[in-house]
Amino acid sequence: MTEQDGVLSDITVLDLSEGVSGPLCAKLLAGMGAEVIKVERPHVGDESRNAGPFPNDDPHPEASAAYLFLNMGKKGITLDIEADTGSSILRRLARDVDILIESHAPGVMESRALGYSDLEPNNPGLVYTSITPFGQTGPYRDYKGGDLIIQAVGALMHPIGLPNKEPIKVGGSAALHSVGMSAFSGTMMALYVRDVEGYGQHVDVSAMQTVTVTQIHASIHHQFGRIPTRRESTLVEAADGWVNPGLEIGVQEDTWKKVCDLIGLPELADDQAFNTREARRTNQQDLLAIIGNWVASQPKEQIYHTLQGLRTIAGYVATVKDLRNSEQLQYREFFKTIDHPVAGKAVYPGVPFSIDNNPMTQSRAPLLGEHNLEIYRDRLGYSGEELGRLRSTGIV
Amino acid sequence: MNDLRMNNLALKDLRILDLTQVAVGPYTTFLLGFMGAEVIKVESTSRMDISRGQARPTPQGYRVYPDNDPGERPWNRAGHHIHRNPNKLSLTLDLSTERGKELLKKLATLCDVLIENFRASVMDRLGLGYEVLSQINPQLIYLKISSQGATGPEKDYGSLGSTLEQTAGLASVTGYEDRKPLMTNETYPDPVGGIFNVGVLLGTLRRRHKTGQGAFIDFSQREMTASMLGQEFLDFSFNARVAGPMGNRHPIFEPQGVYPCQGDDMWVAISVRSEEEWVGLCDAIGMPQLARNPRFETALARRRNRDELERFLTNWTREQDHYDVMHTLQKNGVPAGAVLKGGEIINDPHLEERGFWDEVHHPEAGFYKQVTTPWEFSKSGRIQTTPAPNLGEHNEYVLSDLLGMTSQELYDLEEKGVIGTFPIGAE
Repeated sequence: MTEQDGVLSDITVLDLSEGVSGPLCAKLLAGMGAEVIKVERPHVGDESRNAGPFPNDDPHPEASAAYLFLNMGKKGITLDIEADTGSSILRRLARDVDILIESHAPGVMESRALGYSDLEPNNPGLVYTSITPFGQTGPYRDYKGGDLIIQAVGALMHPIGLPNKEPIKVGGSAALHSVGMSAFSGTMMALYVRDVEGYGQHVDVSAMQTVTVTQIHASIHHQFGRIPTRRESTLVEAADGWVNPGLEIGVQEDTWKKVCDLIGLPELADDQAFNTREARRTNQQDLLAIIGNWVASQPKEQIYHTLQGLRTIAGYVATVKDLRNSEQLQYREFFKTIDHPVAGKAVYPGVPFSIDNNPMTQSRAPLLGEHNLEIYRDRLGYSGEELGRLRSTGIV
Repeated sequence: MNDLRMNNLALKDLRILDLTQVAVGPYTTFLLGFMGAEVIKVESTSRMDISRGQARPTPQGYRVYPDNDPGERPWNRAGHHIHRNPNKLSLTLDLSTERGKELLKKLATLCDVLIENFRASVMDRLGLGYEVLSQINPQLIYLKISSQGATGPEKDYGSLGSTLEQTAGLASVTGYEDRKPLMTNETYPDPVGGIFNVGVLLGTLRRRHKTGQGAFIDFSQREMTASMLGQEFLDFSFNARVAGPMGNRHPIFEPQGVYPCQGDDMWVAISVRSEEEWVGLCDAIGMPQLARNPRFETALARRRNRDELERFLTNWTREQDHYDVMHTLQKNGVPAGAVLKGGEIINDPHLEERGFWDEVHHPEAGFYKQVTTPWEFSKSGRIQTTPAPNLGEHNEYVLSDLLGMTSQELYDLEEKGVIGTFPIGAE
């Protein structure tokens, strides 16, 4: 490895996973420089190819936003691992890779003789990461998941929302993303151990467990006698959206006076109802009503910058559009325009970290089976004739 | 866990200098601690981690203490501190003093990794930035976690997990349909960032293992959170569509939602992703004929007749325990999950069987159950939780055993306020 290389540029990954979490994990490995070979079902591909959204809302398996984002930087091959020929080809591929990522229900890989214990004898250094809703063991191991379900069982969502309404999940597919990130960390842990100790191992990533780790308040508050409850959001309406003035926590005491001057109410600087952090928190609703008039007259991002300038911890609710226009994110070159043969040019969010100021690599997702020739012919040495036979029998 | 794994800790030879505070950094370091790393958490008597709360909390103080009792030393009992800082040693060191800086630099030569999550410029301003420390220890891995990244016009803006949800776009898609956005109340970008950082760090550690190179990692929490909206950003790019909150709904799956169950504020989440799961749901709720009714045959049809369908579902869930609904539906192949409360998750039989919770006897906070790791390894074990340290509890270990200082020197440091175990303001 040289200084210029990614930290994983000596690593090859087989990505057999589908959906969000597994593909995201493999994508993060690709971003760090690993060669990732995504193995998809012939003709059908990863389920996220049908998830959309699509350019002009016109469904096309090569243009699903979910797939395009979660599979950036990978090579794509097709292989029917349910067929015996397919599973034996996969065993061959797995001999020479460093990492395998899979997201089948527990037992499925084992039933095709593709489990960790099947592959380990021929590749003792293999890191084999399984990502499932509930993990490989325990009474719920065969249960199904999904973003909403794991937010529910992980005790994340019960305190989100309004007291008189149902609990609300964190939006998008945030929990599935967090599971992908957790799988990435678990995989890196095992890879580090392999480098130091020489042996690979099976990494069991549970989505429920990951989400339970991300509930930072519910379990400890409950145990210490302060039951978390759903409550109204403290956001205040600005001229064009929502802001959080951020005057309750983490504010220097002299900031309050400056805020009072700013909003044209200097007499509030000494008002005991608001002149300490605790008082502002206790009287939060009154405070928000007072500051509301000033907030309502200004654009949200301007309020954010003005209040941050006074050393508050103000926030504004940015939409995807606002973020595309954010000077901070533009300065950091967070967004990348990437071309794709079917979906065309689009602006993708990037990778949230850099190492030694080198950003991670980013390139487009593969077409279904795009790298079949490269992997089967050039890497595994199949002849054109053999490959033709695999094609005609639907294995590839 | 079997003994073999207990003796086989992934990070047993690593020492981490932990300058993190609040949540995101402390999450990274407690996870590293579980995997066997020695974590030295640095605070000072004038600036404790704010997770410890105030030295003498006012009655309106909002920290969470066992039995709502701050006790004699509230800073060692605060719930946020207890939950986020197990598996660490506590050192106090006043980094605004020359002596404190000097000792930190010495320690940095004995550590593999330094992690901090101050506002972006703080360490440079203290003269303890990567430029300085990498001169002293070229193999040091320096993980800089910040809200906005180490560069850019907003790099020194303050934030909390709750405000990052807003500025990174997550709040814009969280909430009831057509209502104002919600915050997660769980400062979601903090724990998730904490988990993610473990992997980034290990990437540079493996490179160091091979090449001896140190590294500077610049991690932006705002960007990490925004990256969760990949498909929403692409939808904007493709179709100029700006995503908003859609409650518990899914763009395709139908039905998907949260339904009331027996008991106080009890709910179950249900998500039907395929025709097979739809048939399973109809069977489970005792209405198999519904599966053949064209008004509910496809996800689109079910969406059109959602109100009616949700009445059927609610009528069925309302009379049952949320766990019972989950088990019945899952046995019929339908994704379902009880919406667990904090008090339920600590007793969940599945997590119990997987050995997820550690029972901890904290010397100052008493008995509680601790969150552990999101993963399990077949060969690498994790430690049993070591209770979150009291302020300055390991001053002697770090300064005497590691740095070789005499007890007289320690005494002098305490006299000068460079170290201590009582926060300023506690007297």
